Amino acid sequence: MNTKQEFRKVQEQIEALHSEIDKLAKKDPNGAINKFKLAFINEVLTKANAILTEEYLPFAQFRTFDVESVPSNSDVLLVLSQYMSSFQRKSVDDTPPLMEGLLGDM
Amino acid sequence: MPIIRPRLNDFYDLPFTQSEVDFVIPFLDEDIPFYVDPFLLWKSPSMQDNSLHTAMVNSFNHLGVLVNAGREVEALQILVSLSECREVGLGVSKTKRGARISVKTAEGILSLFRSIPQLVTHGFTHLEEIQLLVDNVARDRISDIACNFMKSFLIDYTIEQCEQRGIPLTKSPAMPIYDYKSHSFVDEDVFLPQNPETGQPIILVPKRWIRHFTWIGYDDYFEKYYIPEIGIDENNPPSRIAILNFNRENYGQVQLYVERKERSQQDCRNDPLFTPIPVLSANRKLGTILNLKTGNADRADREYETNVSQLLATLLYPHLDFAQEQSRTDSGVLIRDLIFYNSRSEDFLQDIFQDFGSRQLVFELKNVKSVEREHINQLNRYLGDNLGRFGVIVTRNGLPRNIFQNTVDLWSGQRKCIIALTDEDIELMVSVYESRQRLPIEVLKRNYLDFIRACPS
Repeated sequence: MNTKQEFRKVQEQIEALHSEIDKLAKKDPNGAINKFKLAFINEVLTKANAILTEEYLPFAQFRTFDVESVPSNSDVLLVLSQYMSSFQRKSVDDTPPLMEGLLGDM
Repeated sequence: MPIIRPRLNDFYDLPFTQSEVDFVIPFLDEDIPFYVDPFLLWKSPSMQDNSLHTAMVNSFNHLGVLVNAGREVEALQILVSLSECREVGLGVSKTKRGARISVKTAEGILSLFRSIPQLVTHGFTHLEEIQLLVDNVARDRISDIACNFMKSFLIDYTIEQCEQRGIPLTKSPAMPIYDYKSHSFVDEDVFLPQNPETGQPIILVPKRWIRHFTWIGYDDYFEKYYIPEIGIDENNPPSRIAILNFNRENYGQVQLYVERKERSQQDCRNDPLFTPIPVLSANRKLGTILNLKTGNADRADREYETNVSQLLATLLYPHLDFAQEQSRTDSGVLIRDLIFYNSRSEDFLQDIFQDFGSRQLVFELKNVKSVEREHINQLNRYLGDNLGRFGVIVTRNGLPRNIFQNTVDLWSGQRKCIIALTDEDIELMVSVYESRQRLPIEVLKRNYLDFIRACPS
């Protein structure tokens, strides 16, 4: 899998997780998220951290959730939203400007 | 090391919870208010239990054979000996010393084998019927008679369980055991665990045989059979003695009642030793706590303590078995706290045991707006050799920064750990108790880890 494909895959996973957790957070924002879900979320976040690098990481201190800290649905949703924004920003930055492409063709 | 309401495993420092083991863990200084219900053996799907029930009833009916053969004195001696089985530690005795039945009561029981024609010919099918026919015989007697008949089996069961769990066995010389073949008591040297406080042997009982009330019992008979079927004059209700006399003269009614109970056997289950409160009730209690004012106006402190103790006993089960609620006075202030057995069922509980020597965990309840230094000192003075050096302050709001620093300093100076459990934490515990996404005890673990991380390394 090349870098672009990996980027798309992780971005889609974060979006999908966001959508799932959004439903839980609407029902019970302060409810705790279970360890099973948290393990998958952490796995995706670890991949996301590697792709985003320091430059695009949304938080300076945060990398993954501490399972023992019993994070709530709204905690997880907040973090996933920030990661979604970072992925969009990096995606825009990595896309070559339209004019540059046109000039190259000439 | 004296601990509060000690159990057998606490003395031997064996970390297991009541929910993990097959037997009822006995207390060392008081009985457990449950009874062996022979009906549970009768209805059990296990052939072993059914056989034990048959042996028990056969042995009891043999007393009738003795009576009708003119050997009443022999039957009387056996019955009196059967009537108390203090080794099993079931009942309501605070001293673990019950008394045998009187000769008069024993004669009353044995007379049934002569006076009731159905019993003369067929004997009993269920021992529990005696409660409906003779005064001064209740569930505790039935339980003790059953245990004495099954004593040989229970001793084997006890040895097996003790070997599995590492409970030490000691020789108990010349213990009288009912012999099924000779229908008499025989003295045997057996190996059993001992109560370290009294030196008395202990016999373990399977949890699946115990109930608060026997399935066939006097109160149940009176309410569910006698009143609807026979009827009573509400202005002049019959006395217990009158009903017992009626039953002896109309044994057919007792048989009909017993048949009904046999038909509804599916509803007969053993009682759990601890029953957690349901989610709805937990939410109500949480609502009450959150709406309570701080302080002691309108007895808010007492209400807070009552609700928190019921909630925590449920939320921390089965990881921590509740020992008891207790009150103490420190500097003229009445303090209430909850004591749990530290069964070391979670890794952090094992750490608390190792690092702070806590065989029991103390939760001090403080319905105050803000915890003050004196509150910490009160708990600090209480923590020591007996309870270990770990304590929890259950209070309404988080610890102020200076008080939190005070707890960190206590850890630095005396290696004592005091953490807080607030309304917010209890709310989260109730939330996960309902959603089942996490365990409520994990909230306690989180607070413990947060505290340890804040301590200087």
